[in-house]
Amino acid sequence: MLRTQTISRPTSIDDLLDGRLAARIAQLDLASKKIFAGKMKGERRSKKRGESVEFADHRPYVSGDDLRHIDWNIFGRLDRLFLKLFLEEEDLSLHVVIDASASSDCGEPNKFIFMQKAAMALSYLGLVNYNRVAATAIGGGARAEGGISGSIRDLRGKRRTLEMGSFLCGLTPEGSTSFGEAAKRISLTRRGRGVMVVLSDFFMKEGYETGLRLLVGRGYDVFAIQVLSPQEVDPTIAGDLRLKDVEDGDMAEVTISAPLIKKYKQNLAAYCDQFRLFCARREITAITVQSDLSVEALILDYLQTRGLLR
Amino acid sequence: MTWLTPWVGAIAAAVAVPTLLILYFLKLRRRDVEVSTTLLWKKAIQDLQANAPFQRLRKNLLLLLQLIVLGAALFALAQPQFKGMATTGQRHIILIDRSASMQSLDETASGGPRAVQRLDAAKQQAIELVESLRESNAFQRDKADEAMVIAFDSTAEVVANFTSDKGALTRAIEGIEARDSISFMEEAMRLAQAHAPRRVVEGQAIEGLSLAEPATIHLWTDGAIEDADRVLPTIEKDVKYHAVGLEGAINLGITSIRAERDFENPNRLSVYVSISSTDPSARTLDVELAIDGVVAGVKSVTVPGVAVLPAPAPTEDGEAAPPPERSSASTSGVVFALNQPEGGVITTRLRTGGDDDPRVDALRVDDRASIIVPPAKRLAVALVTRGSLFIEAALQGLPLARLVTYTPEQFQTEMDQGRATQFDVVILDSWLPRTSAGETLPPGRWLVFNAVPGGTLGLADGGEGESALFVDWARDHPVMRGLVLDNAVIARSRRVTIPDGNPIAVLAMTSVGPGIAELITPEARAIVVPFNIAESTWPFDVSFVVFTASAVTYLGADISDPSVRRMLRPGGILADQLPPGATEPVLVEPDQRETSLVLAPDRRVTFGPIRRVGLYQIRWSGAGTDPGAIRPLRTYSANLTDASESDIRAHPRLVLASRTVAAENEGRVKDRRLWPWLLLVALLVLMFEWYVYNRKVYY
Repeated sequence: MLRTQTISRPTSIDDLLDGRLAARIAQLDLASKKIFAGKMKGERRSKKRGESVEFADHRPYVSGDDLRHIDWNIFGRLDRLFLKLFLEEEDLSLHVVIDASASSDCGEPNKFIFMQKAAMALSYLGLVNYNRVAATAIGGGARAEGGISGSIRDLRGKRRTLEMGSFLCGLTPEGSTSFGEAAKRISLTRRGRGVMVVLSDFFMKEGYETGLRLLVGRGYDVFAIQVLSPQEVDPTIAGDLRLKDVEDGDMAEVTISAPLIKKYKQNLAAYCDQFRLFCARREITAITVQSDLSVEALILDYLQTRGLLR
Repeated sequence: MTWLTPWVGAIAAAVAVPTLLILYFLKLRRRDVEVSTTLLWKKAIQDLQANAPFQRLRKNLLLLLQLIVLGAALFALAQPQFKGMATTGQRHIILIDRSASMQSLDETASGGPRAVQRLDAAKQQAIELVESLRESNAFQRDKADEAMVIAFDSTAEVVANFTSDKGALTRAIEGIEARDSISFMEEAMRLAQAHAPRRVVEGQAIEGLSLAEPATIHLWTDGAIEDADRVLPTIEKDVKYHAVGLEGAINLGITSIRAERDFENPNRLSVYVSISSTDPSARTLDVELAIDGVVAGVKSVTVPGVAVLPAPAPTEDGEAAPPPERSSASTSGVVFALNQPEGGVITTRLRTGGDDDPRVDALRVDDRASIIVPPAKRLAVALVTRGSLFIEAALQGLPLARLVTYTPEQFQTEMDQGRATQFDVVILDSWLPRTSAGETLPPGRWLVFNAVPGGTLGLADGGEGESALFVDWARDHPVMRGLVLDNAVIARSRRVTIPDGNPIAVLAMTSVGPGIAELITPEARAIVVPFNIAESTWPFDVSFVVFTASAVTYLGADISDPSVRRMLRPGGILADQLPPGATEPVLVEPDQRETSLVLAPDRRVTFGPIRRVGLYQIRWSGAGTDPGAIRPLRTYSANLTDASESDIRAHPRLVLASRTVAAENEGRVKDRRLWPWLLLVALLVLMFEWYVYNRKVYY
């Protein structure tokens, strides 16, 4: 909750991803409840009937269908036209959206560093499996353009890991988030389909609903990972305080008392519940984690059980 | 429990409690803390405030404690008190007896080691009453109780007039000092009435109309008041009698001292001392007699115990029987017979033992008494007559130093030459000396037969009258004591009348008017028998001889016995005439303090009031001394010698002229004030609040 007093920010890829974790997650692959088509032939089967060698199904011909796909053997037997459908193999696009606003730069351990590490691990995983990987940082205050402070895209293959690492290390959390605007830009500029992982605390004054709605609109399989600091979950402040919002400087005068803490916790629980409910209605997988969780546990337990990885 | 200023407390509460609550909302000095978002906090605050605006207050221990503190302070402001003695009256008159008996030491009720003087106890109780008076405050400035303080003994003195200034009242009470005189209350009561505020009608104070609010008279005394039965408090006034002292207080005291010289042998001096005791058991004590400070004799005397009256049996209808009357103090006497031709100061002292022990003798003032005894002296008498067998015969038996018979012409010559003053008493028979215009008689002591001294202060001569008889005479006058004049027949009486206002006392009345008169002028004193005794049967009666002797002794004693003038009563005035030639008189009090006196043109000096018992001396410079005295010095003695004042047993009831007032229960004089305790509670709660606050903030 409180702004982190002393931060040692990651400077290289080694700070974000240690070798042991890299070895473990290299065995995993991204998964999606939907199989998405890609531009290039990838290593996975697409839900779309395509041009691969694996047969999938038949369907009656309708005018306009490609004549090349008519199963002439069935026509010979039944004198009716059927199309032969094949499973298409395609690559999967992974888009990591990281919240680089000032509110992320809080908590002990720092929420933003946790997000950087999680983003690095996921990107590495995507790159290793020859998925198309993109990353976008939203927020960033004055330097931001349309709510986006930086992005990298169309990375594929293990050798691009360093590139992704340097992008993530170069992010500085500052300013406020305009999540809706950023989501609009992301949804307009993205290429292909695939999995989108949004890392944020989702404490947005203007609301996260519009943004998530835009992101999920074109069939992306969206994972929303809400990162909270332990201090936000269980506040340890006391006394007569004037709370200052690090993003917009908004003030709230509070006298910390047991009823107030209790009310705060109730509000937080309600907020998270509402967030999960909103995501569930739109087939967004929502996960709330604390920043003191290890990235390994996040990847291996939380994401695997929720179907992002296999 | 009563509230002295309930409205002040209520108003202050109406202002202060909401103020505290508002201040609680407007708390200042918050610590700034940066948080990731204020979203949830604001919601939480809004929720708390929207759901239950007083939930925060109800559960805030700090506010609760502060409210307790404030409540205690506000209660204190309303001045609650447990009802002790109701202070319903607005005005209090505090009368404090400062007479000799108030110097008695009483054992403290708790049996403490130190005995307490009654006056100190009374002052303490009076100060407690003053402390319990209702005070004014910002809202009710005129509602404060007022009190006045009067100290009284034989005279009364207003030491503090009506005021609500407790400091002034307390200082006035503390300044009251005991005196060695007896107590009279009537003057104090008159003073109280005189100083009562007048009822004001149209801006004018009306004399004689006191304010409608009744004043409460608080009387602190042990009840030994001479004139209690003459005190008539006005009806609306409430008299509260606070008895000071113990009912069984023990005192031994000299109630009277008298010295007499033997008539036949003036060298023999008898000193009579009477002693009273309030001890229930018989006491044997020594009486010491000292002449000019040298002990001349000690005699042992036993004073019987005070009779204990049996409590009367309850009456048949079950009413409480009236308490028994007090038995009077037991008395005893002792006589010292001395051979003492010289004069001097005779001091008697009781040796009771156990100094300052109230169980032996609670009052020390009356343990000592002095008397001034003149030297043994025989009178020099001149008889001025043309020959009176009766008078000469009557004077024959008197033990006189000198008796010279003159004819009127010879005596007039003696007077003109200033030699007449060698005679103490001059007997004039049918002749009056020459006087200046208006003067009744020249300075001196005169026994006048068959003449009527006129002048401005004298008698009016109405000429000879018919035969007469003595019809009445002043049997208690020293000259007439023991005389029987029934047998005397006056053949030719003298009609005399007493002009209005002349200081003439009629000693014997005949059927036609005054038969014997005592005439006093500033310079002269005379006993006048206006008729011719030769024309009556009186000289043949034994009463004539006794009368002549008594008159000569009386007139002579008046000049030769200065002890009459030199015995003072505490509370009285010392007034004396110094001998010619005296200048710069100085009075030395018993405590050796010296006071310069003012010498009047007629050589009179006055000093007063006499406050302490003991020996007073007047010294002067200049040529004049008293006859027979060596130094220019006169000694005066002030004694208490009062039986009722020495009876120091506290009276349970005070009988006034209009009612009987029972003593108040002493324990209830002071109201129990609660506000200091409430403030203490407020302080303690404040400290507890500080602890709670620290726990809450830093824990």
